[in-house]
Amino acid sequence: MNGSNITPHILRFIGLVVVQSLLLNQMTDTVGAYFNVLLYPLFILFLPLQMATPYLVLLGFAIGMAVDATVPSWGVHASAGAFSGLMRGLALMPFAPKGGFSAKDPIFAPARMGWQTFINGATLFMVCHIFWYFSVSYFAPVFVGEILKKTLAAWVLTMLFVALYTAMFNPKK
Amino acid sequence: MGRLLQLLLRNGGFVTFLLVELVCFAIMVNFNGRQGEIWANTTGIFGGRALEKRQMASDYFGLYETADSLAHIVDSLQARLSNARQMQVPIRDTFFLVNYDSLSKTDSVRRKTVRPQFEFITAKAIKNSISGANNWLIINRGSLDGIQPDMAVVSPEGIVGIVRHVSTNFSLVMSVLHQQAKISVALPKQKNAFGSLTWEGGNPREMILRYIPQHFVVQENEPVVTSGYSLMFPLGHPVGKVIGVPKPDPENPYFLEIRVRLNQDMSTVRDVAVINNLFRAELDSLQLNIKSNER
Repeated sequence: MNGSNITPHILRFIGLVVVQSLLLNQMTDTVGAYFNVLLYPLFILFLPLQMATPYLVLLGFAIGMAVDATVPSWGVHASAGAFSGLMRGLALMPFAPKGGFSAKDPIFAPARMGWQTFINGATLFMVCHIFWYFSVSYFAPVFVGEILKKTLAAWVLTMLFVALYTAMFNPKK
Repeated sequence: MGRLLQLLLRNGGFVTFLLVELVCFAIMVNFNGRQGEIWANTTGIFGGRALEKRQMASDYFGLYETADSLAHIVDSLQARLSNARQMQVPIRDTFFLVNYDSLSKTDSVRRKTVRPQFEFITAKAIKNSISGANNWLIINRGSLDGIQPDMAVVSPEGIVGIVRHVSTNFSLVMSVLHQQAKISVALPKQKNAFGSLTWEGGNPREMILRYIPQHFVVQENEPVVTSGYSLMFPLGHPVGKVIGVPKPDPENPYFLEIRVRLNQDMSTVRDVAVINNLFRAELDSLQLNIKSNER
């Protein structure tokens, strides 16, 4: 990544942390416990497809930690961010063209992949992130029912916001 | 080393993830109330169980030491009991029960009067016989442990025998089921009337008590204890109980012949104690004087 390529990611990082902490987390407090929208993983999803997994894990940890600092929920979002960094390659693998992603595909976005592929990939990616987030948040297998219910509710809401965000900003790099 | 490096590079994402998750985990349990509480409870439960299991394993492997330690405690209690029986001493016209440990070290008069007389040494029978006409045991204590010939051997239930030969680490014990064994015993319910207990073969659980005068009305099931006159066995150690109705001794009609059932089953003897009479030498030398006076 050169300087001009980094800028959109930095702006996305800051913008998503601000939206997540100042808007979406506040909505959860206002609307109710089942209203959870986790939009900040889009930063990880939109990171360059050629980026090595360790960097994805570290950047996922970084954005999660930034969100944690505003909640505060120390380590919970960071853990989920790191998990998403690890899982991104696996989640998007079924949607890669034959021979895998190439340098021609800088990021996994509708402008490059088409909406249907993007939504399918984002769905799998977000499910992984949200499930890990609630698992770590509840921190005990005894709450598995609650974890699954909240994962389902949050996934539906999050995907609406993902589609909205992507349609608004239409990221290309 | 090269392979390890390759492995790390190949699985770099996963290794990084594990390291980052460890950091997250530490942050979560240290800075978040909910996760911290759950973690503390979980570690408490599993830690407690693990400690319990470890303790059980440790206890199991320590059973031999525990048994050994308990045997020492039993011996110590037996010694105290035997010595306590010696402590009822006449002072002027009254009987005083005196606790030896409570006496001042400067109270030399009473210390001499109520001194402990017996020391118990724990041992285990490592060989035993009961089917011969004359039976022997071997115990795992010898001269190194302070064992000497003519010391009594008892179990918590009853009497076992008398030490006859001692090697460095082992001793040969003449069983009470030996025709030369003669144990001085008493009947506490008959004002401690005393007699001599012998084994004449046959039932290994029965011995014959002789030299109890005819005028004593001995009942069945009366307890039989050591008389304390033999210098080897302390006073009052349990021996057995009377069975059947006593008959006149055919060899000496002025005395009774009493069958005694031993408390200690000689076929199951295992943990025993050897009794050291601390005043044995002194008492022996006194008895030599009796013999020299009779000459």
